[in-house]
Amino acid sequence: MTDTSTQSFTLVITGAPYTSQAPQTALAFARAAVNLGHRLDRVFLYGDGVHLASALCAPPSDEPHWPEEWSRFLTDHSIPGVACIASALRRGLINETEQKRYELPAANLRAPFEIAGLGDWVEGRIKSARTLYFHAGD
Amino acid sequence: MSTLIMIDHPPYGTWIGREALDMAFSLAAFDQPASLLFMGAGVNWLRKPQEAGSIGQKSVEKNLSAAQIFGIDAILADRAACEIYGLDENSLIKGVTLADADAALLSDYDHTTFAG
Repeated sequence: MTDTSTQSFTLVITGAPYTSQAPQTALAFARAAVNLGHRLDRVFLYGDGVHLASALCAPPSDEPHWPEEWSRFLTDHSIPGVACIASALRRGLINETEQKRYELPAANLRAPFEIAGLGDWVEGRIKSARTLYFHAGD
Repeated sequence: MSTLIMIDHPPYGTWIGREALDMAFSLAAFDQPASLLFMGAGVNWLRKPQEAGSIGQKSVEKNLSAAQIFGIDAILADRAACEIYGLDENSLIKGVTLADADAALLSDYDHTTFAG
């Protein structure tokens, strides 16, 4: 562990909060990486991971609020957070553009998360030195 | 940068495999070399024929048979898993190459990943 050179990362989270450990493990990694001076190019939510970007999660007050903690972390460090549009639409994770397009009764995407296609994941993989995946496991 | 997307979940029980396929198609759409490796219970994706309509799902057979048209380099199936699930040349869909899912195979790719 002597190599301390700066790395760049894209993180992919596919496990949902409160169903899996994935979002909190990813957050612990992200905090440690930033603290050591590494760069996070992008956090990409895929599959069930898109639930992390919901503005409507309301966990009990004595439990960690993972969507809120992730939002704060991304905002504080100006890191883009992107939810895959196909995964998001299937699971009811909607921004105002998609609300209008599909004439839905509400939008629930939490800032600063954005919705975009898998092209953002492809781009992240090319840009970052490493792409790490945080899955739910089974 | 070549990528191997590995699928070890059986079809239809979860959306993980289907979304893994979307990842592979996306890579191909952006001209990134991508191959699929089915292993474990995932080899059942490659079984023919599949009639998913009775459970309200679309068969993945068509998606997979179009994979190479859309630029996926190879559809690989782990030989040992195929034996376990009783799959051979006659019961596999077209375009599948049998391979041994071992370290040597994985080392042929810059990136390897599961979708979930």
